[in-house]
Amino acid sequence: MTTQIRQLPATPSMMSPPPARWPHLSTVVIVGLIAAVPLVFFGDYWMFVAAKILAFGIAAMGLQILYGRAGLMSLAQGAFMGVGAYAGYLVAQSGLGPGIQLLAVIGAASLVALIVGLPTLRLSPLRLAIVTLAFGELFNWLLINSTEWTGGSQGAPVEPLIIFGFDTSYPLDAYLVALAFAVPLTLFALNLGQTHLGRRMMAIRDSEMAAVSVGVFIPKTKIIAFVLSAVFGGIGGWLYSATTGFIAPPDFDLFASVFLLAAVVIGGSRSVAGAWMGTAFIVLLPEGFNLIGQPNLYALAGGLLLATTALLLPDGFSGVFAHIKSLITRMRAQEDRA
Amino acid sequence: MNATGYAMRTDQLTVRYGSFTALSEVSVGLRAGAITGLIGPNGAGKTTLLNALSGFTDVHSGVVYLEEKDVTTLAAHRRARAGVIRGFQTVRLLERESVLDNVLLGAERLHQPSDCSQILGLPAHWKWRTVARSKAADVLELLGLSSDSHRSVDSLPFASRRLVEVARVLISAPPVVLLDEPAAGLDQRGRIELAGALVRVHEQTGLTMAVVEHDIDFVTRLCGSVIAMDSGSHVMTGTPQEVFSDARVQIAYFGRAANAHA
Repeated sequence: MTTQIRQLPATPSMMSPPPARWPHLSTVVIVGLIAAVPLVFFGDYWMFVAAKILAFGIAAMGLQILYGRAGLMSLAQGAFMGVGAYAGYLVAQSGLGPGIQLLAVIGAASLVALIVGLPTLRLSPLRLAIVTLAFGELFNWLLINSTEWTGGSQGAPVEPLIIFGFDTSYPLDAYLVALAFAVPLTLFALNLGQTHLGRRMMAIRDSEMAAVSVGVFIPKTKIIAFVLSAVFGGIGGWLYSATTGFIAPPDFDLFASVFLLAAVVIGGSRSVAGAWMGTAFIVLLPEGFNLIGQPNLYALAGGLLLATTALLLPDGFSGVFAHIKSLITRMRAQEDRA
Repeated sequence: MNATGYAMRTDQLTVRYGSFTALSEVSVGLRAGAITGLIGPNGAGKTTLLNALSGFTDVHSGVVYLEEKDVTTLAAHRRARAGVIRGFQTVRLLERESVLDNVLLGAERLHQPSDCSQILGLPAHWKWRTVARSKAADVLELLGLSSDSHRSVDSLPFASRRLVEVARVLISAPPVVLLDEPAAGLDQRGRIELAGALVRVHEQTGLTMAVVEHDIDFVTRLCGSVIAMDSGSHVMTGTPQEVFSDARVQIAYFGRAANAHA
């Protein structure tokens, strides 16, 4: 009986599409071309904007893991960017280099995520959102009231990162350094979709009962998602501060957190690519209003545009692409049958 | 296997929801390596019994044994890891994920590489993934779902969605399987196929199975023994023929005693 079933040949549908271990070559080429655009066409200012997109995009990918994959809403991703930025800043103040700074950024983000997450992850998603909101406010208050350490509400200049001769005080170098982090972090985020850990997170998002029934210990998986998202946020914030050369509490307040959440939702919370598209859109939108000479219009029209996009595209930008892809697949399947 | 011959059993199990007693001093057992049917009218306590066995409800008094170990207070996810895997009366799936991903969720119980090596995408993770996928392919084949494996479950007809859940339960070849009306919503042919597939799995793995089911033909086809329940109490246990011809069961089920069972 056993052998009879085991020997059944895999049906064609089981074999296609092949499980993709690495991104398809075409994807790599397209992403490479997009990443090369600033290098070829951009002057300093737009290079600076591109570096900002990369820094925010890394933080947005973290939030995508937490919100899109595990279904937990956080209103503290901006604060976690701040944790990373200030951890890097404090370590740099004592004269330590980028390697130690990175370790401090990862360590601080993980530690803070554990402190915030451990007592609260048993809460419902909505309550968790409220707790993260409170944490973000507390963090900002702390920054403002520890002036001797952080520069307080006035902020503080940040030493540029110098890695292998690349100096982030130059926009081109800042872009390249951010890219050097963005690429591997994107691969990690994509890989999560191939892991059982990632599937466990989706189960928590969709049905905790199903997750428990197969043996998932929910708090542990939630903590991992929370720490991962905080680490992405921390690294994003650290790179952001290195790019701008300055840190101040308002960069990491509630608005920053909401901004990142909007990026994830508009891009499409169900995919890593969505986090990137949403970030690019949301960073470039005010720049667009600057370009047409109406920067003040952003506050009004920007919000309207965001709301319209969210309403028109329930699955975000990436949902549109997924839809087109499934249409093509279906058309091909019909051709095959014909 | 153990001295009593039961893979799982309850002793004087009572479950209460407020003032309502859903199970009252129920002492029943799932014979190791057998398929046991759980029958009874609505409100008999079949699902509550399944919940108590799988750790999904608090027990007021009494004991739940797994292989003679007291697991009454063992959390549901730990009971699942210990080998008690259940399905739900209302299917609980990852609605917008593929059939394959839904089934692979059930691989949680298989020994996994560490979370860290999964995050970093180390070779151990890819090896595990291949093994889990081949197990998923086997169980999908068995349940006739192979051609749907890359479809999103929310695009499937109701009957197939049930089968996806059954596949999720079976992929890790758990020693104890608890299914809550797996054939609900299936047509006659689907029921016969499902019963056949469950019998085949059972023959291959020798697992212990409990199936809540209303359909007498399905139960007779599938189950070696049947536990009949009514109003939170255990009525009787016996072969399907014995149970369905028993006057008490017939009264509970059909509201009257009949000469010949259905």
